[in-house]
Amino acid sequence: MNNVLKRTDVLQAADDLRRRTLASIARPLDRLIYLASTRDYNTGFYYHDGLASRFAQEVVCEALADCHREAFQELVGASLENLVAQMEAYIASTQTSPHDFVVAWKKLEPYRVAVPVDSDTLTSDFLFSNFRIALAILQARLNTPRTAAPASSPHRLLAQ
Amino acid sequence: MIQLVLYLVLGAAFLASLYAFARRSASAEGGAQIILRARQALSALQADLLPPQVFERIFANGDYRYIISAGDPALTAMFLSERRKIALSWVEQIRRQIVSLREFHLGSARLHSQLSPRVEARLAFEFFTLLCVCRFLQLALYLRGPYAAPRMVGRVVAVASRVCATSEEAMGFLSAVKVDRLAGKSAHKMTAL
Repeated sequence: MNNVLKRTDVLQAADDLRRRTLASIARPLDRLIYLASTRDYNTGFYYHDGLASRFAQEVVCEALADCHREAFQELVGASLENLVAQMEAYIASTQTSPHDFVVAWKKLEPYRVAVPVDSDTLTSDFLFSNFRIALAILQARLNTPRTAAPASSPHRLLAQ
Repeated sequence: MIQLVLYLVLGAAFLASLYAFARRSASAEGGAQIILRARQALSALQADLLPPQVFERIFANGDYRYIISAGDPALTAMFLSERRKIALSWVEQIRRQIVSLREFHLGSARLHSQLSPRVEARLAFEFFTLLCVCRFLQLALYLRGPYAAPRMVGRVVAVASRVCATSEEAMGFLSAVKVDRLAGKSAHKMTAL
């Protein structure tokens, strides 16, 4: 019974999070990165001050973990074309130079620490692999001379 | 002299029976491990490896068409190499989990389940077929890339799903509580070691 009540709390907290904070973050990639950033790398626990004022810390932690898993699954299910588009939009939102971004992401592979802790190896490896391909596509676009290419082509110009 | 040989034979027989007894106790403990591994294998197959959204995503043609449209051989080669690694890992994980399930059926299932000999024979045939198809698929993926054998992928998924359904039925005698208890015991044993 206690578990059911706790679960209801978690659902409420997750719903609150989706309606308030995550509603303004449209792309699953941005949501994944944002939710990973609410996790303490030393303990694996998630923290969110706004939610913590209305729910118990363990409920907040579980709700954030649920939403993190959801964003992860959404990103895994996204096509390569969609992932490349999300990365392009993400680069634009960070206002970093696309070249610097691609070089840093290829070297540091920050996406490796952005996955939920209980995600299975195959699914995580699949997403990492897609990130590597997407970065290669973005790099190829950066190296391509500025000529017109079809909108759906991986060689379409970056930040056109 | 004949008496000496007789005593030696009796002694050897006694030692052999002691060895057999010791092995039997060890395998009874190992049986719990096999059941636990089989339970974990079943949930890994059903939750992580066999759902359509997993394999359809790995072998998605749309991604390949998208890469091809770039007309960049280096990008295409990289994509095919990445996808091949993932596809091989997928098949290997299925094969490993199926081997765990087979161990369970060869050992513990006979003691607890209500499977008829006919069902067991069918299951044995399906295990054999599945492990063979997995090996052929691995070879095809390795030699010809991730899009080499879509029908074989479908066959692996179909047979593996059938094997899972039968195994689940055979494991019906194990409630979640029992599995947790088994897991607790083995964890305790590991700590003691």
